[in-house]
Amino acid sequence: MRHHLLLAGVLLATTAFHGCPRQNTSETPEVVYNCPANAADIDVLRNEIPAFTAESHVTIKLNPFTGQDKLYAMMAAGQAPDIFYTNTTMRDRLAAEGRLLDLRSVSKGDPFVERLWPAVITNGTSPDSGWYSLGNWSFTLGVYYNRDLFDAAGLPYPDTAWTWETMRMLARRLTVDANGDGVPERFGIFIGSHFVEAIEQMNGAGIRPNTLLASLPDASAEAFTKYLALMAERLMPDIRRVQAMGMQPAQLLQSGRVAMLVEAVPHQMLIETLSLRWGVAPLPRFAGKPPRYFRTSSGGLSISNGTRFPEAAWQSVKWIVGKASIYQPNPVLRDLDFVGGWERRYPQLAGSGFRDVWNLSLQHDGGDPRFFVRFSSWTSASILERLQPTLDRLWAREIGVNDVRSALPEINAHARRDLQDLLQREGIKPAFRRVIERELRNLERGTAQ
Amino acid sequence: MTETTRFSTVFRAALSRYTVMYLLLGALCLLFLAPFAWMLSVSGHDLAGVFAQPYRWIPDRYRWENFSLVTSLLPFWRYAANTLFITVFVLVGTLLSCSLAAYGFSRIRFRGRDTLFALCISTMMLPGQVTMIPLYMLFVSLGWIDTYFPLIVPAFFGSPFYIFLLRQFFMTIPREYDEAAVLDGAGRLRIYWSIILPLARPALAVVALFTFVGTWNDFFGPLIYLNSPETATLTLGLSMLKSQVVGTGATQWHLLMAGAVLIMLPNVLIFFLAQKHFVKGITVGGLRG
Repeated sequence: MRHHLLLAGVLLATTAFHGCPRQNTSETPEVVYNCPANAADIDVLRNEIPAFTAESHVTIKLNPFTGQDKLYAMMAAGQAPDIFYTNTTMRDRLAAEGRLLDLRSVSKGDPFVERLWPAVITNGTSPDSGWYSLGNWSFTLGVYYNRDLFDAAGLPYPDTAWTWETMRMLARRLTVDANGDGVPERFGIFIGSHFVEAIEQMNGAGIRPNTLLASLPDASAEAFTKYLALMAERLMPDIRRVQAMGMQPAQLLQSGRVAMLVEAVPHQMLIETLSLRWGVAPLPRFAGKPPRYFRTSSGGLSISNGTRFPEAAWQSVKWIVGKASIYQPNPVLRDLDFVGGWERRYPQLAGSGFRDVWNLSLQHDGGDPRFFVRFSSWTSASILERLQPTLDRLWAREIGVNDVRSALPEINAHARRDLQDLLQREGIKPAFRRVIERELRNLERGTAQ
Repeated sequence: MTETTRFSTVFRAALSRYTVMYLLLGALCLLFLAPFAWMLSVSGHDLAGVFAQPYRWIPDRYRWENFSLVTSLLPFWRYAANTLFITVFVLVGTLLSCSLAAYGFSRIRFRGRDTLFALCISTMMLPGQVTMIPLYMLFVSLGWIDTYFPLIVPAFFGSPFYIFLLRQFFMTIPREYDEAAVLDGAGRLRIYWSIILPLARPALAVVALFTFVGTWNDFFGPLIYLNSPETATLTLGLSMLKSQVVGTGATQWHLLMAGAVLIMLPNVLIFFLAQKHFVKGITVGGLRG
């Protein structure tokens, strides 16, 4: 038996020693990039990195994973990847704790910065005016529609100046309830509740940077009411029903269950999977209000403050955004023909309305409603924890818009307590601390925005 | 009432009782099999077919090429070898360490044994998230990140649930065997190796099966401790099929499900091979309560 155990031990140790990978000891600056865990993208990046290395003498090591658990564990152990993705909430937290490199320190005088849309830079700044993330993609929203259904109903396709009322009229004409049971077999339109902020924005709700407490301006309340009316009039399927059926928006349009669908533009999966004749129109305007189209480049690539090679990391970020083929042509670069590039990649985009939607969003850039306080602030986690169930009840039409408004003081009281807790934490940088303290003082005075 | 009538009544009652029971079991079976059937069905579609409405459970043509596509999109066999490597060592480590600990807790009397056992069991209450960061920092300090050591070595230090399970089983083995062996001059380790382990095969099969399935399917451990794509396991590889195209998000569901079918095959195979031992171990062992 002893021989058995000894043999097993030796076998185990030998195999484990040979089977376990070892650390890289290369002299070239090596930057670790936490790229999306996507097999196809990883393959392309791995093929292209050698050319970048030959040109820049910087090696990019891919560390593909998704989710924040691993990132936080790595940070706690001082092993954060040099480049990783951050959303706006996460970015501010990490920046306040001094975990992110201020990109101004490595990009000063770099002509690459001139190639970026100003919003990419503005959206990456934090309360201390530091630039902590570079948006690596951007998109707008549009209304995808089934051309066959419009043709069959003898209706004109939506144009670039159509209004909410026109949309409702078209949706009404396209809604079909053949058996008259009150549940249409086909609905005119579907707008996911996660896009309601775009309607609020079109209706005039503004983004107030660095605010920390939730509010419900009239423009938002009105947008909520209009959104709910689509369901009440049965022009749009019940949100709960769609969720319960587990249907994806693409399925709704592809299956003819809805005639129009609000989704991201461009939306690669929709483009690749829709087999019907489709077009895309901009979001409908509200009469008497200037158009303010949704455009997001929120979040993006950040560089760890603990990186050993800040310059090399910046070079790598520029390469990822500007040259890595999977991200090209990249809409955050203003000197590229983004629309033309996408039309070459997906010929079905030509004549679909994609070009108009994209250009309008540039002409009437309404900013990123994901910077509404409920999504991107110190308090967004605290606010959403309580606001989201309230909004879910609103979309289920169990409560009214005024009920949401009356729930806000309690929601904000929780947010305030969370802010006070946050202030107790060590390591918060003074500039960030000042914003929190200012908001708390405003709240005391009753002048919170 | 005549005998025949009484028999007929009893028979009818039993029949109706069994009919209801089997109908209920059948319905439950369908409920549990539905996701499995969906996975098989989707793995044979193309992407458009996945989103077709109404959904066709049986595709016009079952796309076997999805399976070969998965193995070409990913370094599938490399990942399979990595996964097998980890699984084999974890299996050996778990069986050795847990059975040894369970043997100690069930057969050897020593001061504080029950307290130690309670302490061991109580570690089951600690959620993985609580120990994740300290463990990660420990493995960083050992220089083990991006190696398989963090996934393999802990298996050699026992798992409370399996220790409990094996201890309960070992306690059902009569002590007379030990006494007879002692009279023949056997020591503790000899009794463990030559008496207890052979008699505990059903329980060991249960532990082996649970460990195999748990390690083979483990996603979180490899996600946290492995960095390089070439060290990835099958579950990590599968997650790489979940496309995250910037700004959109296009999951290749048909490929993802084809990959899931391939990954699941060894589990199914092992279960059927070890089914006899497994059922016996569950019924005779500690799980019977």
